Amino acid sequence: MKFESIPIPWEQPFQRPRPKRAGMLVDLRRCIGCHGCSVSCKTEHAVPLGSFRTRVHWIQQPGRVQLDFVPLMCNQCTDAPCITACDSGAITRAEDGRVTIDEDVCESGQGCVSACPYDAITVHPQTGKADKCDFCEQRTDDGMNPACVDACPTQALVFGDLDDPEDPVSRAAARPDSSHWREDTGAGPAVVYLGANSQMEKAAPKVQLGDGEAGIVYAQPHDRHLRLGDQADNAEDQR
Amino acid sequence: MSDKTDNSPFGNPSRRDLLRFGAAVSALSVVGCKLTSGSGGTLPAGLPRPVEPLSELTPKPTVCFGCTTHCGVVGWVKDNRVRRISGNPLDPNTGGRVCSKAHSMIAYTEYPERLLYPLERVGKRGEGKWRRITWEEANRKIGARLRAVRDAGTPERFVFHYGRDKTKGFTKRFTDAFGTPHRLNRRSICSSNRRAPLMSYYGREFEWESQDLANTKYVLNFGGNPMEAYQGGLYMAWRLTDARVDRGAKLVTFEVRPSATASVSDEYIAIRPGTDGAVALAMAHVICRDELYDADFWNRWANYPLEDMKRHVEQFTPQWAENESGVPADTIERLAKEFAAAAPAATTMSNRGSAKHYNGAQSDRAIRMLDVLCGTVGKPGGFCLSSLRGWSNRYGQDELPKISAPGPKPKGPKPWKPGTREFETLPKDVQERVAAFPDFWQNKYFGELATPSEYPLSWHWYSMRVGQLVYEYVREGRQKVDVYMSYTLGASYGYPEAKAAREVLMDERLIPFHVAIDIGYSEHAALADIILPDATSLERWDAHGTNNYGLRPYIGLRQPLVTPPGQARSVQEILRDLAHEVGGGMETHFDFDDVEEFYKAWHQNLPMEWEEFKRRGIWTDLERPLDYELYERPVAAADLEGSEMDPETGLIRKNGKVVGLMQDGKPVQGFPTPHRKIGVHDDIFPLAARHVGIPEDDPVASPIATWFHVPAFAAMDRSKQLHFTTFKWNVHTQGRSGHWKYAAEIIHDNPLFIAPETARAHGLEDGAMVEVTVSRPRGYTFRAGEDAPVGSFRQRLKVLPGMSEDLVASSHHVGHWEHGPVGSGKPEGTTAAEAGFDRQLMADPDIARNMWWSKSKGGVGSGVHINDAMPIDPAPLIGGQNWFDNVCTVRQLS
Repeated sequence: MKFESIPIPWEQPFQRPRPKRAGMLVDLRRCIGCHGCSVSCKTEHAVPLGSFRTRVHWIQQPGRVQLDFVPLMCNQCTDAPCITACDSGAITRAEDGRVTIDEDVCESGQGCVSACPYDAITVHPQTGKADKCDFCEQRTDDGMNPACVDACPTQALVFGDLDDPEDPVSRAAARPDSSHWREDTGAGPAVVYLGANSQMEKAAPKVQLGDGEAGIVYAQPHDRHLRLGDQADNAEDQR
Repeated sequence: MSDKTDNSPFGNPSRRDLLRFGAAVSALSVVGCKLTSGSGGTLPAGLPRPVEPLSELTPKPTVCFGCTTHCGVVGWVKDNRVRRISGNPLDPNTGGRVCSKAHSMIAYTEYPERLLYPLERVGKRGEGKWRRITWEEANRKIGARLRAVRDAGTPERFVFHYGRDKTKGFTKRFTDAFGTPHRLNRRSICSSNRRAPLMSYYGREFEWESQDLANTKYVLNFGGNPMEAYQGGLYMAWRLTDARVDRGAKLVTFEVRPSATASVSDEYIAIRPGTDGAVALAMAHVICRDELYDADFWNRWANYPLEDMKRHVEQFTPQWAENESGVPADTIERLAKEFAAAAPAATTMSNRGSAKHYNGAQSDRAIRMLDVLCGTVGKPGGFCLSSLRGWSNRYGQDELPKISAPGPKPKGPKPWKPGTREFETLPKDVQERVAAFPDFWQNKYFGELATPSEYPLSWHWYSMRVGQLVYEYVREGRQKVDVYMSYTLGASYGYPEAKAAREVLMDERLIPFHVAIDIGYSEHAALADIILPDATSLERWDAHGTNNYGLRPYIGLRQPLVTPPGQARSVQEILRDLAHEVGGGMETHFDFDDVEEFYKAWHQNLPMEWEEFKRRGIWTDLERPLDYELYERPVAAADLEGSEMDPETGLIRKNGKVVGLMQDGKPVQGFPTPHRKIGVHDDIFPLAARHVGIPEDDPVASPIATWFHVPAFAAMDRSKQLHFTTFKWNVHTQGRSGHWKYAAEIIHDNPLFIAPETARAHGLEDGAMVEVTVSRPRGYTFRAGEDAPVGSFRQRLKVLPGMSEDLVASSHHVGHWEHGPVGSGKPEGTTAAEAGFDRQLMADPDIARNMWWSKSKGGVGSGVHINDAMPIDPAPLIGGQNWFDNVCTVRQLS
């Protein structure tokens, strides 16, 4: 095929119909830990520094010297504790199953934040409004993939329709080795993982920055213990 | 979607998006913010600038400049601002994929401390006092200085030194037109130790390889890290992932730390630094001993007899390699056999891990030998080579359109042969060395900065130069400098012994005048007399071409998606205007008003309309056969006509130029080497050694791959000393990303990683503050063996299982003292060059409010600068910086 005959993709909208039941596959076997998803997410939503709608953990399981890379985000739980915890009724479930926050209704009660077992909800440091991943509703409404999915260079993240058995996400979910991140929360997480195990779940439980994330080995933002103690000897003292 | 009728491809913003913007505005009354005016309109301070949905943005393709890989991307634009980046699916190297650094192009372009106005220093050099000047004033002053150098008949006293130059020859046009050979670079900092062995094997045209990773079954990776940082890394990352996960290919990585690449590998083998070559030679030993080689391929294409090769590798037994490298002998045996069994759909891969050592060139030659032995070269799934330089009917470019900068092109300076005026300016010892050079070197010799005579293999194939020695050579008086122009160069921060660069730049007797062209106020620009604000990659034109791991030549176009803010200008405009200012004929090579017209003429032979090329951003011919086995392609009929064959060598010459090789009665192209075969054996190494006073029996001079101890490691006292090595993170790129806010949020510190066993053995505790003191290297290198240490720094230890033993490792991207709060960790407004900024236009209140890792918020800060403690350490003959040869002591402070 001659190059000239290839259509120009960005001039033709990606006509993905809004899924009947929105689903996300996180294939850890394919993730290379590049942070493309999380940086793209921050750009897409102008997420403030220190807040995260999605984040990639670099973890080291006990007895294993290689690292594992784990993107975490809102699991769009089927029994979402955040909806119950919200007094203002700002958090609702959309028809396709995703859990969304209406900023206009949010009264900054922050009940959702502590209710979320994944610490996936962030509060905007200036407006006080709750915010979290909603599979990029503003993009999927336009027939696009979520920003993180578009940004993933190795197709470790796949967005799809769990109601369509032929959809790659459904097919992955049907595999015996697929799992949900921390079934033990009882919240009914809906994001599908391939290649996860319970050791990894222990090492990387949260989306937001948190203390005491033992097992996180690289200097990631959540790596709070690097920040303790005397830090006087730093950049400007070195010259 | 179907009822949308407006011009934007994704229709109107949804009601929800309008609500979002409404919410942001209504929040004003809640938090009572002040209004500030930015280029994006009137926004409430302290709130993120509203992020428009893609449907409100206009997409346009260009080429990323987030690292050295240069992926085709699409920028999404509104109100002269790039709001989002996505991949260009037409780019055959990426298939539309990008990494985090592409998104960071926005932070590269919009940050409060970006330079937007020409500046002139008003205090002493380096004092940090600046005034804003007009372009006219800047050009007049710089032009007068340059004209004086040229009028004096000493154009070589103008030195141009770049860090990042992807103009594909535009800056060379300027130095050539001026008449100076001094267009210096940082190739030696980066990759010359790996390029030289490749060019020795495969010819000048192949300074970079293109493994067929999409089809490979087996990859032996010696210290390459394409999942994080590698020229072409992203091109490789997705192909490797597909090959591994979808098709069961095996990736084996030798590394000194669990890098991202080591981590996704099927086997990660922690290796002692500087011993990759020993392992490769032992694998060659196994392959030869068990006759697992492809004898037909070797006999047809290697320039060295197989029997001699087998004798050569007899000494390198797996047990010997185990003793040197720590890699078990049975592992070496097994991997060698696996590699040979998977051949020809198997390939080696290597980069800095193997090459940035004193013995790195010989190590890479040993690694490359495995592909030749097993006949994987040019085969599907194997070690492939694909055309990578600008198209002008070079090797591998048959029938490609000629893509070349428009004329008239300047001729450039003449070589500094004995008897020339320039030759007479050289120090006596240099004159003696150069006078003894063979003609083919004298014809390429242009003085000690451009072609250092002690490192002839840094310029034998082409001018890779030895950038880390430039400042010391200027200090020693090997080259007088009148005007020094730096272009996006971070030497004062990022070169080894960066303090040497700062000392020389601070000495006005050595550098009487320094013009810096840069995007931001870097540590290097801070030591200039005049700073000129450059456009970023989102704001300028460039011709793009590189090797395609999809094995089909293509070209791309970097084009401005937006106009530069303030008074920033692209380097093409800057140099064009300076050329006209200098005059004297220079201006004839820069005779264009519109930069676009220049690039249009550049691409005039493209079989595609200019507007269509701009619309797509990429051109390739999808019907062109893939670049497998280029060496077996027949010599073109036009080349055969009137050619002659040398009956002894089989070489086919036309008009004295070698065009092919007769193989079994067929004229084929062979490899673009002097002998048209693979240069497994290359006498250029002993020749170079002889000319620089290294004994020919020294292993660095070996014409065939060999292995020997890095001298500094051989002399190490392992009870007291450790290896000290550096590495790169995936979100960062060299020394120019410390201020990209989302990248810095992920990686802003550089703790020293250490294996638990090593920490225990040396009584070091996890989390402890330590002082690292680095000693001078040994062997034939700069200031070898001096007792005084190079330097020290303090940082925290971080124990990490899986690190190679006897080693500490720290990344080098962070620890800036310029580049604003994100880069330096200092509070906003303390940077010296306020006159060059526009904090209103480039406002980002998120940084001041939410940079949680800043020290003022109780955070760890922005890392420690380590490059002053890294010795200048050029590899013998080639001059590549031996970044990973450092030996240090580590003393616990707390």
